[in-house]
Amino acid sequence: MNKITHSMLRAFWPLMLASLAGPSLAAEAAQPPPNAPTDQPATAPAAPAVTDAASGATAAPATDAGAATRSLDEQIQGLKKDVVDLNKDLFVLEEELLFPANTQVAVFVSMDVGDFFALDSITLKIDNHEVSNYLYTPREVSALLKGGVQRLYVGNLKAGEHELVAFFNGKGPHERDYRRAANIRFEKGVGAKYLELKITDHQRAQQPEFELKDWD
Amino acid sequence: MPVALLASATLCLAAAALSSAVAATAAPGLLLQPAPDFALPAAVGSNVRLSEYLGQPVVLSFWSSRCSTCVTQLAALDRYYATYRSSGLVVLGISVEDDQQRALDYAHAHQPAFPLLLDRAKSVSRAFGIDRLPTTVLIDRSGIVRYLHSDDRSGDPSYVAQIRALLDDRIGTP
Repeated sequence: MNKITHSMLRAFWPLMLASLAGPSLAAEAAQPPPNAPTDQPATAPAAPAVTDAASGATAAPATDAGAATRSLDEQIQGLKKDVVDLNKDLFVLEEELLFPANTQVAVFVSMDVGDFFALDSITLKIDNHEVSNYLYTPREVSALLKGGVQRLYVGNLKAGEHELVAFFNGKGPHERDYRRAANIRFEKGVGAKYLELKITDHQRAQQPEFELKDWD
Repeated sequence: MPVALLASATLCLAAAALSSAVAATAAPGLLLQPAPDFALPAAVGSNVRLSEYLGQPVVLSFWSSRCSTCVTQLAALDRYYATYRSSGLVVLGISVEDDQQRALDYAHAHQPAFPLLLDRAKSVSRAFGIDRLPTTVLIDRSGIVRYLHSDDRSGDPSYVAQIRALLDDRIGTP
């Protein structure tokens, strides 16, 4: 779908630019040429008037060209803004088409502190089917520790009871390999369902804690 | 007997030519296309995601420890990485080893300066259409595949010129 969106934008971009540039070029062509001859009598008293008219004629086209350029710049900036807005609308429409609210389920991940667990990867299974297996880089873990929330998975589920099992892989206390699972049973009704995987530090037990939360 | 030998040699040559022709057409579909994003674990160190290097030229080298030319290629890439690392060049070696322990042993034995990644499920190799080794993919700063080589280019001066072109943002036609 993203390829279709981007290909549509690439196809539309030159057409939009040409349609806006066309009227500008026509307006410039309709203006009189800068050195057009004026109907002045060839007498001495009229010579200063001819000179003034000529200097005025050369000054006016320069300002007209500048104004036309500014107008074209403004049009191009406006066109760019329209394209960005269109891209945003297309993205939202794509999400609504692929994941309609009545079947949408989204799983988010958040981390707190992270002294007792260095996250390496998370595997998600919904109703015993693996739906996501995500590897985390140091940069992504850092973003989570700074308060970021990641949308790990978005998919479609029919209404009814379902089970989510999350497997957390990483390094636990004392740099030992650590693998824990957590599960939650939830009811998918009408409307989007949001679930959160929270990784926190349990200070008293000196162990990480994995909590699955249903945002009702 | 000489006739049989000649016939078998001809058959072998024909098979080699056919396989090279098939191999040459398999991967070039990626040329001038965005490189597929991926995340892989490293033999030593943290996980690596390709999209985090957007803005830097990237060289991907698909290798196996059983392939002697791959080992030569990796040594050459190590030298290029040492030379151009300060200019922003990123080199990633992707192992397509069936036996992961062999890849780990190689990584620990040779310890190149760039990350050696483990493609256990061969998902990245399939995404890039890898069907012969060594294969090197050169990606520009915008994430577009610019050059693709299905042989050992360690001694080829044009290979260095391509790397420099990516670093200088001077992209020629592949």
